[in-house]
Amino acid sequence: MLRKGAEILLRSHILREIGFRKLNALFSLLGLMLAVTIVVASQLLAEADERETRRVTRDMGFNLRLIPAKTDLGQFYRDGFSRHAMEAVMLDRLATQLTNNVSFNHLVGSLRRDYTINGKDILLVGLSETYVAPGQGKKPMGFEIKEGTIHIGSEIARWQELKKGDAMQVGVRRFTVANDPIETGTPDDITIFARLEDAQSILGLSGKINEIEAIDCLCLTADDDPLAILRKEIGGILPEVQVVHQRTLADARAKQRQTREKVNAVVLPSVLVAGAVWVALLAVLNVRDRRQEIGILRALGKGGGRIAGLFLGKAVLLGFVAAALGVALGTWVVLEFGPSLFPVTQKAIQASSTLAWQLLVATPVFAAFASFIPAMLAVSHDPAETLRED
Amino acid sequence: MMIRCKEVTKTFRKNGAEVVSLDRFTAEIAAGEFVAVRGPSGSGKTTLLLTLGGMQRPSAGAVQFGGRDLYGLPPAERARLRSGEIGFVFQMFHLVPYLDLLGNVLLAAPGRPSDAERERAAGLLDELGLGKRASHRPGELSAGERQRLAVARALLNRPKLILADEPTGNLDPENAAEVIRHLAAFHQDGGTVVLVTHGTAADQHAGRILRLDQGRLAAN
Repeated sequence: MLRKGAEILLRSHILREIGFRKLNALFSLLGLMLAVTIVVASQLLAEADERETRRVTRDMGFNLRLIPAKTDLGQFYRDGFSRHAMEAVMLDRLATQLTNNVSFNHLVGSLRRDYTINGKDILLVGLSETYVAPGQGKKPMGFEIKEGTIHIGSEIARWQELKKGDAMQVGVRRFTVANDPIETGTPDDITIFARLEDAQSILGLSGKINEIEAIDCLCLTADDDPLAILRKEIGGILPEVQVVHQRTLADARAKQRQTREKVNAVVLPSVLVAGAVWVALLAVLNVRDRRQEIGILRALGKGGGRIAGLFLGKAVLLGFVAAALGVALGTWVVLEFGPSLFPVTQKAIQASSTLAWQLLVATPVFAAFASFIPAMLAVSHDPAETLRED
Repeated sequence: MMIRCKEVTKTFRKNGAEVVSLDRFTAEIAAGEFVAVRGPSGSGKTTLLLTLGGMQRPSAGAVQFGGRDLYGLPPAERARLRSGEIGFVFQMFHLVPYLDLLGNVLLAAPGRPSDAERERAAGLLDELGLGKRASHRPGELSAGERQRLAVARALLNRPKLILADEPTGNLDPENAAEVIRHLAAFHQDGGTVVLVTHGTAADQHAGRILRLDQGRLAAN
């Protein structure tokens, strides 16, 4: 272990060496910074992509639709919702059975009906809170609707000349518009989303829902006959519902997840490996440049710890600076260009302090690992070999 | 006796062939001696110096330093001994280019330099005519100044022994004489000097000349 005084001396030597061999340090810094920037940008953009998809195709995430058993599927597919209703307590019944052993999750009760405002036909949708299996702590699908607010589609906003923060009368109730309405090209553009109890009150259907939306676990392959399994599991709890499993949506959702997993599995490791190789190569060059210095330090009685410290300390310092710059740059890129890529959820694109802290810790460690072999080369270097060179 | 070498042999492998750099070298050097080591290129002078300084383990034989088996010591102990009792001066100076002159001298301090060590380093730079350039870097110095800086570094810890490997090899006669003068001053203060040299500048100071030929002690 280095004594405190020796640590200060080491730090001073590292800083002076960086100042002396600026190019080597600069290239190491740029390599690490680029890697951090890519990590930050890809993570924030992937999150933004997921959020955008969830928002734009609000129902896409829900590939299971549980509707009253007596619903005529012809009517359901034609209108997009069941004209029958069921008790909202059925949602509670199903929610109490949510465990990690069932093949469904993320339950949201909804009441969906056509409605008329100022002579225009629209959809009114009431949404309950989201129920998830205990311990999963997943974010709610879609969005949360705060008390006294509604989210409105772009067409409704256009007809009514409304924007975020304006008041809107729906039935006998007055609400505040909570969103910036953006055209999605889906029925959402003519939909008002309200809290479930508000929709029940407006529609005079207190305590009623007409659908429970859910997602399957995405762990069932076609060979497993997922529909049969889901019908068996759900039917055992709620015999009063029929289960509609939207394979296309399930596949789309699975594909989105797979894409993100592919990014995490291929792109990020490639960036990290390339970064590590780059840093290691520059560290090897640095060791070569400093053979005489290593030799004289040995001759002056300095130990391996001190010599390794010169190289690992440099890596840690550069890693820390690169992390700070890379996080700043990556975040700037996402904040600058993200909104044009994800216009609907642009306001949700934010810097991630958690990611920043993780990278501020991980990058110096990563740089030190990448420089470990060169540092060991320096430590094991035979000083006599250098000192005899004339 | 400060140094005792017994049957010291050092062999290397070079291009697949075995090269004998030191061949059963036996000699003793007393504390306070000024010994010059001479010999043609490749005769093993530098190998001898590095071996005496605990920098290069011999293939056979033993080296004693102050009665201790130098290569029987653990590496950390040998490093401590080198730091505290031996000063090195090399032909190529081996200075650290990114440290200023004061930093280069203080590099020899065992840990964080104390105030006393800083004072001594500054005093040594003054003595060696480099005091006004303490904040310069080695790259800004002439060859003679660089070698004087290396001597200052070697002297910082008040070593008992200075091992100098052709310290005047890259210097003009004036600067060479200046460096030898400083080594001689160290010797006059009771220090021991082993100087590898081709020149004759040190002859008037050296009490003894060891002549090496093909790794063997040809004359003592």
